[in-house]
Formats: sequence, C-alpha cells, structure tokens
Amino acid sequence: MHAVSVFDLQHGTVALGGRRILEDVSVTVDEGEFVAILGANGSGKTTLVRTLVGLNPLAAGDLRVFDTPVRQFRQWPRLGYVPQRLSVGGGVPATVGEVVASGRTGRLSRFRRFSKADQAAVDHALEDVGLSHRVGDAVTTLSGGQQQRVLIARALAGEPEVLVLDEPTAGVDADSQDTLAGALGHLSNAGGSVVLVAHELGPLASLIRRAVVMSQGRVQSDGPPPQPDPHHDHPDHVHQHPHADPPSSSTFGLDR
Amino acid sequence: MTILAFDFMRRGLIAAFVVGLAAPSIGTFLVQRRLSLTGDGIGHVAFTGVGLGVLLRTSPVLTAVVVSVVGAVVIEIVRERAAASGDVALALLFYGGLAGGSILIKLAGGTSSALGGYLFGSLSSVSDGDLAVIVTLSAVVLLTMALFLRELFAVCQDEDVARVSGMPVRFLNLLVAVGAAVTVTVAMRTVGLLLVSALMVVPVATVQLVARSFKGTLYGACLLGSVMSVGGLVVSYYADVPPGGSIVMLSLAAFLVAAVSRKWVRA
Ligand SMILES: Nc1ncnc2c1ncn2[C@@H]1O[C@H](COP(=O)(O)OP(=O)(O)O)[C@@H](O)[C@H]1O
Ligand SMILES: [Mg+2]
Repeated sequence: MHAVSVFDLQHGTVALGGRRILEDVSVTVDEGEFVAILGANGSGKTTLVRTLVGLNPLAAGDLRVFDTPVRQFRQWPRLGYVPQRLSVGGGVPATVGEVVASGRTGRLSRFRRFSKADQAAVDHALEDVGLSHRVGDAVTTLSGGQQQRVLIARALAGEPEVLVLDEPTAGVDADSQDTLAGALGHLSNAGGSVVLVAHELGPLASLIRRAVVMSQGRVQSDGPPPQPDPHHDHPDHVHQHPHADPPSSSTFGLDR
Repeated sequence: MTILAFDFMRRGLIAAFVVGLAAPSIGTFLVQRRLSLTGDGIGHVAFTGVGLGVLLRTSPVLTAVVVSVVGAVVIEIVRERAAASGDVALALLFYGGLAGGSILIKLAGGTSSALGGYLFGSLSSVSDGDLAVIVTLSAVVLLTMALFLRELFAVCQDEDVARVSGMPVRFLNLLVAVGAAVTVTVAMRTVGLLLVSALMVVPVATVQLVARSFKGTLYGACLLGSVMSVGGLVVSYYADVPPGGSIVMLSLAAFLVAAVSRKWVRA
C-alpha cells in the first residue's frame, strides 16, 4: 500500500500563447510532503504549479490529483492556492476579514449560512498569520508583507489538505517570512502537504525536505534541498545556483 | 404633494426607486473588476434593440433586453479570451450598436425627440406595462445578486483562486454580464441608455470613498443610488430637464461632497 499522491504529473507538456512552456515534466508529490520548486525567473515554476492545480490545460501527458484523473476530480476544496501576486484588492474596498472569509466559499453550498465552524476556521487562519487584530481594517491599508499574509490566510481558511503557494516570500519583510514559516509548519505537522515556489528560502529552509529545480521548462533536478552555505552570515539562508541557467533576475540568489 | 397627483409621476418614482436600488448592486462588481465602462458598452448595444422594437412595432423594452443580453454575453466572452485586440473588438461592438439603433429608428419613421427619451430618459414614458416589467426585472436582478453574493465576491477577488476551489467561474461571470444587460434596459426609461452606466458606477465610487468593507460599499451604494434616482426624478419634474441629466448630476454632486469632506477629515 503506497502513500496517496496529491499530485502526479507524468510527461506533462504545456503550451501557452502558442509557445511550449513546459516540456516533458514529471513531478509527483505525496501526501504530507513539503516540496520547494526552485529555479531562475522564467524557468516555468509558475506554469508548473498552475498546471498542478488545474489552471493550465495539458498539451500532452497525464495529471492525477489525489489519485484521480484531473478531468474527473471534483473535490477542489481539498486544495488551497496562493497565486503569485503583489497585492490584494481591486476597485472596491474589502476588509481583511471579508477577504479571508472568501476562502471558505468553495466549501459552502449555496443555501448554507456561514456557520460557527466557518467563522472558527477564519479566526484560526487569521491567528496563524498573526493578523487577528486587523480583521476589520481595509486590506489596502496593510503593508505588502501583511497583504501576502492575508492571501495565505484566505487559503488556510478553506482548511486545505494541500497548500500550493507561488513565491509567498518574494518582497516580504523578515517578520512576515517568520510568521509564514510558522503557519506552514503547523499545516505540515498536522499532516498537510505543501508545494511552494520560491526564489530564496529564508526561514522556510528548515521545513523543506525536497526541492524540484526547474530550468527552461524542464525538471533539472529533484531531491534533497541544497545545503545552506556555511560561509553565509545567515545559517538557515539557502541560495540556489543552477549551473545550466544563469540568473536572469537581479534578485535571484541575492539578499533583499 | 402635487407631484404625486400624476399617475405618470407615481409610476416614474417607483421605477426610479427600484432601478436606483438594482443598478449599484451590479455596479459594485463591475467597479471591483475595473470594468466600469461595461454598462456604457451594453447601453450602446441596447440602442439597436430599441430600434428593432420600434421597427417591429413591439415593446422596445423587450427587444432591448434580448439584444443587450446577447451583447453582454459577447462582451464577456471577448473579455475572458482577453485577446490583444479585445479592446478594439469591444469598441466596434459599441459603435455598431449605436449606429444600428439610429438607422433602425429612422427606418421605422421615428422622430429624434422619441430618440432623446431613450438616450437621456423621459418622465412620461413609463406605462403600467413598463412598470410591471421594470419592477419584476429589478427584483430578479437583486435576488440573484443576493443569492450568489458569496461566490461573486470570491470570483471578483481572484478568478484563479475561485476556480481552484471549484467555483463555476464562467457561469458567475455570465451572471454579472446578463445582470448588467437587464439593468441597463430596465433603467433605460428613467435615466436613458447613455447615462445608465453612471447610476451603476457613481454611487459605488462615492460610497467607497468612506467605506472600509465590501458589504458596506454594496449596501451603501444601493441606498445612495435609490435616493439619488428618486431625488433626481423630482428635480427633473420641477426644473423640466431630462431625468437622466438631473439624476446623474445629483449623483456627481454627492460624489464631490464625499471626496471633499474626506480630504477635510484626513487633513
Ligand atoms: N500566458 C502565457 N503566454 C505566453 N507565455 C507565457 C505565459 N505565461 C508564462 N509564459 C512564459 O513562460 C515562461 C515561464 O514562465 P513562468 O512559469 O511564469 O516562470 P517563473 O514562474 O519560473 O518565473 C516565461 O518565458 C514566460 O514568458
Ligand atoms: Mg513565477
């Protein structure tokens, strides 16, 4: 009896705007795993995770989600997704509480009211990201790092079994990074799975058991995460230096 | 109140009230997604529907509903595809709508004064039959928005996240598009096709200056919209100006007051 695999992508090819972005990519994530997707800018990390959560169609290959072919999969509330975003919002104001509560909607049938259990999940998610005291504030009044935490709380409010995050640490202050590491640690300890795209791991490094390194739309390596650089002044700060693909962004591998 | 002595004014005031309530409920979702001009686009398309109704000698409201729903669905499909030329495609649709309407009305032997009633609203044009249609359709729009509020909020916060959590995103987007089309036609008699979008957008823009929450903005905008709509109609009666003009001017004045007083408070 093998472990349930959360995502099982075999020989996946994805084309966007007439261009092949992913080429023959195979990645399997088992239940309870904590996996980082690493790689230079433009290497296909975002495309890969969007494909895993069913947002990109496959031109070739097979994807199974919770051991079910993606076309037949219906239990989407088991997944939480935090897209690569700079900020929350839109034209109309919304409070932190409203945005986080919207992460519950996928779990609710149309005529069911927002119950005590729903509110408890929202409160818990807010607590986990350290924003309980801002629940009534407009999201636009928060800092970039706090807004990122709101987006993570929105995903956590749905009580997902697997959380997929696209660069949740990019441009986020050290405080928010620590809070995020704490929240993901809780989820992982409770048996949840985490797939996370990152440029630099920072305080998350100690949680990661496996790293998939992408390069030019292919999997370059898949295995234990790169070891921390002993010469670095930050003991748990991990940098990626894939050789086939020189850094294309000024932030790649650099401290901010 | 002498104003209530006239049947047409009583009908007009009821129509203005329900339209003022319904228009911002759709407008909130359009503003949230930065699609404020969608209502204008649908208004242009609906004009062809009016022309068709006049030509076929059936109810222009009915043909306008059909044509603008079709137009709104086309607009939504173009938006979803988000093609590079989407912007131009929409512009072409708008011009076609206005041009088609003007030709059809002329062919039907219509006058330009009848035309003005559709474009800027008219006080005397709401018949008993019209009123029944206006109230029914406004109620349908409001009930639908209330029923799907939670999902619509989630979708307009982030379509991708909503899709991943299993929501029927395309259906919900079409719901807003069709709701906008119905609202445009329902408001056509009161504010007119060229100004209907203002009643969807301006109350939302005003309330969001002072609100912190989405629900506060939504409910506040519906309240403000109905007050402005009824107030504007009363002004239209006494000042003898097209109701669309007075309703929108009143709304813009409220926006100005909110913007200035907010500056004051913050300073
Ligand atoms: N919708 C799209 N249409 C065309 N090309 C795209 C699209 N999305 C991403 N790409 C291209 O695919 C490549 C990989 O992008 P992405 O997955 O976002 O990389 P990463 O997240 O690793 O920075 C880039 O060259 C990007 O320009
Ligand atoms: Mg990316």
